[in-house]
Formats: sequence, structure tokens, C-alpha cells
Amino acid sequence: MARSFSSRKEGPAHLGGSTLQRQKLLFVFVGLTPILLIYGVVRIWPIIRTFSLSLFDSDLVKPEAKFVGFQNYTDLLSDDSFKTAFINTSLFALGTVVASLTLGLALALILTQFIRRSGIYQLVYFLPFVMPIVPVAIVWRWIYDPSYGLLNLFLSWFGIPKQAFLLYPETGLWAIVAMNVWKVVGYNMVILIVGIRNIPLLYSEAAAIDGAGRFGVLRYITVPLLKPVILFVLVVTTIGAYNVFTSVYVMTQSTTASGNDIKILVGEIVLNGFRYSKMGYASSEAVILFVVVMLLTLIQFRFVRSDT
Amino acid sequence: MSEESKRRLSRRKFVALTGGALAASSLLAACGDPTTAPTTTTASSATTSATKVATTATSTGFNSGFKVTSDPITLSIWADDTGMAPWYQKVTAEYTKLHPNVKFDVQAFAVRDFETKIAAAIPSDTAADIMQSGAFRKYVEAGLLPKNPDSVTKMVADPTIFPKELTDTLVFNNNYYGMPFYQGRHAIYYNKDYFAAAGLSTPPATMDDLTTYAQKLVKVDGGNMTVSGLSLRLAGAGSGIAEKFMMYLYPNGGNILEKTSEGKYHNGYNNDAGVKTLKMYIDMLYKNKTDDPKIKHDTEAFQLGATAMYARESNVVGDTANKKPDLKYSTAPMPKGVRWGDLSSPIGLIVSRSTKNTDTAWDFIMFSQQEQYLNLLLTDIGWIPQRQDYAFTEALKLRPQLAAFTFKDPNYKLFTAPAIGSFDEIETKLADRLSKAYLDSSLLNNDAGIKKVLEDAAKETDDILKKANLYG
Repeated sequence: MARSFSSRKEGPAHLGGSTLQRQKLLFVFVGLTPILLIYGVVRIWPIIRTFSLSLFDSDLVKPEAKFVGFQNYTDLLSDDSFKTAFINTSLFALGTVVASLTLGLALALILTQFIRRSGIYQLVYFLPFVMPIVPVAIVWRWIYDPSYGLLNLFLSWFGIPKQAFLLYPETGLWAIVAMNVWKVVGYNMVILIVGIRNIPLLYSEAAAIDGAGRFGVLRYITVPLLKPVILFVLVVTTIGAYNVFTSVYVMTQSTTASGNDIKILVGEIVLNGFRYSKMGYASSEAVILFVVVMLLTLIQFRFVRSDT
Repeated sequence: MSEESKRRLSRRKFVALTGGALAASSLLAACGDPTTAPTTTTASSATTSATKVATTATSTGFNSGFKVTSDPITLSIWADDTGMAPWYQKVTAEYTKLHPNVKFDVQAFAVRDFETKIAAAIPSDTAADIMQSGAFRKYVEAGLLPKNPDSVTKMVADPTIFPKELTDTLVFNNNYYGMPFYQGRHAIYYNKDYFAAAGLSTPPATMDDLTTYAQKLVKVDGGNMTVSGLSLRLAGAGSGIAEKFMMYLYPNGGNILEKTSEGKYHNGYNNDAGVKTLKMYIDMLYKNKTDDPKIKHDTEAFQLGATAMYARESNVVGDTANKKPDLKYSTAPMPKGVRWGDLSSPIGLIVSRSTKNTDTAWDFIMFSQQEQYLNLLLTDIGWIPQRQDYAFTEALKLRPQLAAFTFKDPNYKLFTAPAIGSFDEIETKLADRLSKAYLDSSLLNNDAGIKKVLEDAAKETDDILKKANLYG
């Protein structure tokens, strides 16, 4: 420290300080280089390559690729499958985000404010999140089965006839949203509980002294101070929901699936890229997905950003 | 107990509970969807049921003419059907007895997973040494798979050994690619008990029979259909929906694609045959009510007794022998319409260009095509070999239901899907439109609506052909 202070006053020592700074910078640079290189190769380069491929009529199995400019993007505008997939994915994301955030917040508030020993409940709600998606999707496929599914058995107690939930695209999408909400709500709840517990009691006590009721504390203290955590949950859930693939594939698209094909963006990318070998076209779909998620994230940052 | 120890205990409980949940979920994953978990086997784990076969093979002194390596190697095999794993297990074990230095790593995938896998593996030269599939065409056209050795070509091109209709699909630029293996042939499966109860003594012979029989066979209890008269393929993934549609479209005089005299293609279903076929589906669902989208379908339904009849490939015979050996059923050739025939989907074996053991790989392929192993394929799995110079007497005696799949009549034509790379996209996109149409009850008594469905689908089909420069 003393050396550093003196270095600012004296010429030669100052130079020595700069050397130290340079050495520190060099150390940081050398230390981070391998990680940055790996990150660049496995993360950044594929993104750049995807952008580049989207401008070509590129076939996975043919080496030559013809530059077509924005032709792939204009073709997407007249592609019914892509449009359906885009709408379905957006509805899936909207349903998942709204339901899992609302339910997660409600559960977090109940468990932190009304239940004293809430650990076991937290564990129960969190468990679906740690379970692998494939067996979960298979179990839910059984639950929705029109012939012997648990849900239809339950509905039959109320005289409701058998429903083929996964057969019709209108019900199939929301059936998978319900499964996804069940899976992620525990994660959102745990994150929100951490956020709520980090709000100093001082604020809510002060608000209570000023006459605020439970709802007042929730509205003017808890939710505003929870905004950074809510933003995190929003962004993570939105990105996850737009990238949905495995659950939809297992429940409606795989060889053993009992449902009707529900089109989603990632499914379309896989289909066009790896089944029809249209890598350029699939890349343009991937770019659209990237841009949409990026825009939504920026919008969420803009509107949910904490002012505190 | 102190607060601290209580907390420690609760942590332990947490870990135990979480661990238990993870173990349970792993267990679920292990017994999960075969589409995500390939069936893997090695020669060392083979059963001994094929011992008799091995003795025969060894005593006959098999010699393919290929030089088998003496180095210790492991040949990898990828198959596009999970049901094929037991057959490979037995045949590779027999081969290893002949050549102890050659081991195998066999992976059998669900067909869609296989297609996704080879899409990345073949262009990057990381594919297996030997692959089994019916979807090699686009890789052949792109020059990513090697042509057959001369001795194999000589055998494949011999019309007394393989049907020419099938081997023609292996030809590209006057070269043959791959060894014909088995074929997906179709027939009508029917439940004999249900037929007897309905007073039906013979299987449906015509397309009209199919409709009238279905009405006699359907069972309804309390307003709910319990047994469908004819189980149609209405849902599910991929091109299967269009393939099954094509089987009924053909006797009505149509096809998915028609080939022109110039070697180009256009849709073959935006016509009267297409309207008649789609109308048959809609009528069966919403007018005659011989099928219902909400009940069980396909093989599962047939084996559970939830349908009286349906059209399917021959491997159901092998599957039913294992899962439901007491089911009283029989099979019949596909019904007649204005024409008569069956779709054959040929499956082949090919050696990848990245293999380091080409000769040994071909030697194994030739070894696997001996009569005793193809008999095994028929009896154990149920697939129909493409070889027509063997009688398969033993297998047909053991599984009489296979007779409808090997049925021959001068008027019973064998037809195949066009050997073009873009056919999969055409079929899959048509399947997508058909599955939506089947759920649309407003198409009942609505010829204009049916025509619109076919017109839109046909435009998409022709556009794909135009883009591939194959339209004409």
C-alpha cells in the first residue's frame, strides 16, 4: 500500500506502480485466456456461424453453399409451419412465465409469511425441478392418456367424458404448459423465497408502524424490493420456455408419442436442419429465436428494472 | 436435542430425500422412452438360443471372398429400429465365434433418432462402420457413402436374388449403394374372435369390404367406442401418417408422387383418388364411426383387443409372438380397389466411408444374409427379407401370419416410394396436413373442404419438388 501511495508522487516509483498494474492485468489476461478461448469456440463462434449460415442456401450433406442474402428470412414469412411454431412457442412461453411466476410468488409469500417450518414444503415443490425431463414427460403422457390416464379418471368422477388432451393442438399445448409450470414453479419459488428473506425486516416493520396492512407491505415494500429477483426469474423462465423441446418431443413428436405433433421453434430448427438437411434455413429460424429472446429480455430489463 | 443438531438432522433428511428423489427419477429414466435411449448390446452378452444356427454356419464354411482382418477390432453397427437389437445380438455372436478377434458394438435406435444421428455423423465421418436404414439416399446423392464393391454389386443386381423393384432404389449414377436387407411390407391384421362374433368368415378382400366390415366389427358401450372396426393411423410423429394414407390411396388409383416419362415428379393425390381416400377416413371417423381419435390405436390397440383390424408391417407378428402369444389373429393381403398392390419400404445395410475395416464389415454383412439368419429375422423379429431365392419354409410354418406379407399374385403389385432425397420432407409435411384434416369433423359431407385440404398439400408437395429441381 505504502509503495503504491509513494508511487503516485515519485516518477520512477510511479513507473514501478504501472508495472505492477500491468503485471496484474497480464496475470488476469493470461488466467482468463483459456476460458475465453473455450467460451469463444463453443459459444460465440457457433452464434456467429449461425448468423452467417442463415444467409446461405446451405445443405448439411452437401459441401457447396450458395449465398442467398435474406431469402431464407423472406421464405420464413410464407412458411405456415414456422408461423405456427412461432405462435405456439410464444403462447407456451407466455403461459409458462405468467403461471410459474404468479404461482411461485404466491407460494414464496405463503411459505415465508404463514408457515413457520416450511422446509418440507419447499422440498416437495422443488423436487420436480431436479427430475430429468424425459421420465417426467413420459409420466405426464400417461397422466393425459385418454384411455387409462389419471386425469381422465379424476374427471370421470365429475361426469366429464374422456378427453384426448395431447391429440388436439388446442389442448395439447396447454397440457404441456401445465406440466412445465409444475416443473419450474418450485425453482422460481426458491429463488423468490431467497429474495424475500433478503429484504430487511426493518422496512416492513416501519411500514406496519405507519399503518400499512399485509397487502400494503406486499405492494409497497416486498414487491418493489423484490424487483431484481423477479427480473431474474422472468428472464430465466422466458429463455427456458422459448427453448422448449424435449417435453414437447417426448409427449407429441417421438416415435412412441401418443399425441399430435405440436410445432415449436426448436423442433422446427431440428426438423429443418437435421432431417431435411436445410441448415441455412434452420439457421435463419435460430436467428429469429435468438433475436426474439434477446428483445424480450431487453424489454423485461427495461420495465422490471429496480429503481432502488 | 440441540437446535444445531436438529438443523443437522434436517439437512441429512434433506439430502436423503433429495437423493431418493434423484434415484427414483433415474430409475424412471432407465425405464423410459426408447426414443431417447438406444438399445445397446455387445456380442459378449449374446444368448445361446442361436447355437444350432452357428453350428450350421460354421459347418457350411462360409466364405464371402472378403479378407477378414486378423487384428483385434470392434465393428460398430447402428440400426434404425430398436426391435432389431436381439437379432444383431445373435448374429454378431455367431460371427465372433468364427472370428474371435472381431467384436461388435451394436446400437439400435428409434428411426427418427437414427435419422438425426446420421445427419451429423455421416458428413463428419463419425458414423458407425455398418449402418442399417432406408434413408441413405440423400447421403448417396451427396457422395458421402461409398458404392458397393464389385462382388456385392453383382449379387445385388441379380434379379433372381432380389426383386428389381427394390434394388432399383439403391441405384445412383449406375452404381449400387448398400446391401438389400429387409422390407416393410403391409397386410391387414384382423382379430379372429371379433370376426367370428360378427359372423365374418373371410378377411376383407376389397376396399368396400374394408368399410362394411369395419361397421360390423365396431363395438360401442354406453356411448363410448370400446373396439374400433378399423384402426386408422390418425396421429403420431413423422411421415407414418402419410405412408398409411398412401396404402389406401394406391388401390383407389392414386399415389403420393407420380413419375413422369421424363423422370420428373408431381403430386399424385390432388385428384379423385385422393378425395376418395380422404373421404373414406372422414366417413369412418364421423359418419360410420368405426374409429375414434380418442381411443387406442395401432399395434397397442390390436394387441389389447381395442381394434378388430388394421394395416401394418410384418414386424407386428414378431412383436405379438413375444407380447401377446395367445392373441387369435390372422392377416390378409392389402385389399383390392381399381388396382391392387402393397407398398414395400426397403431397408438396407451399408458400410460407411469412414470405416477402417471395409472388407471385414462387408464380410459380416454377407455373413448376416445367410438363410438361417434371415429365417431368424422372420421368426424372431418378423421383418420380411428382400432375398427371394430362399423359401423361408421353417419361418412361415412357425409364423403362418407372415404368409400375407410374402403373398404373390401377378396382379398384386409391389410399389415403393420414389428414391429421391426430398421424399421424406414431402411425406412428413403431407402427414402434418392429413393429421389436422382427420381431426376436422367439418370435412364430413364437405367435398369442397376435402379438395381444399388436398389442393393446399399438393401445392406444398410440388413446391418442394420445384426447389429440388425434380418437378415435372
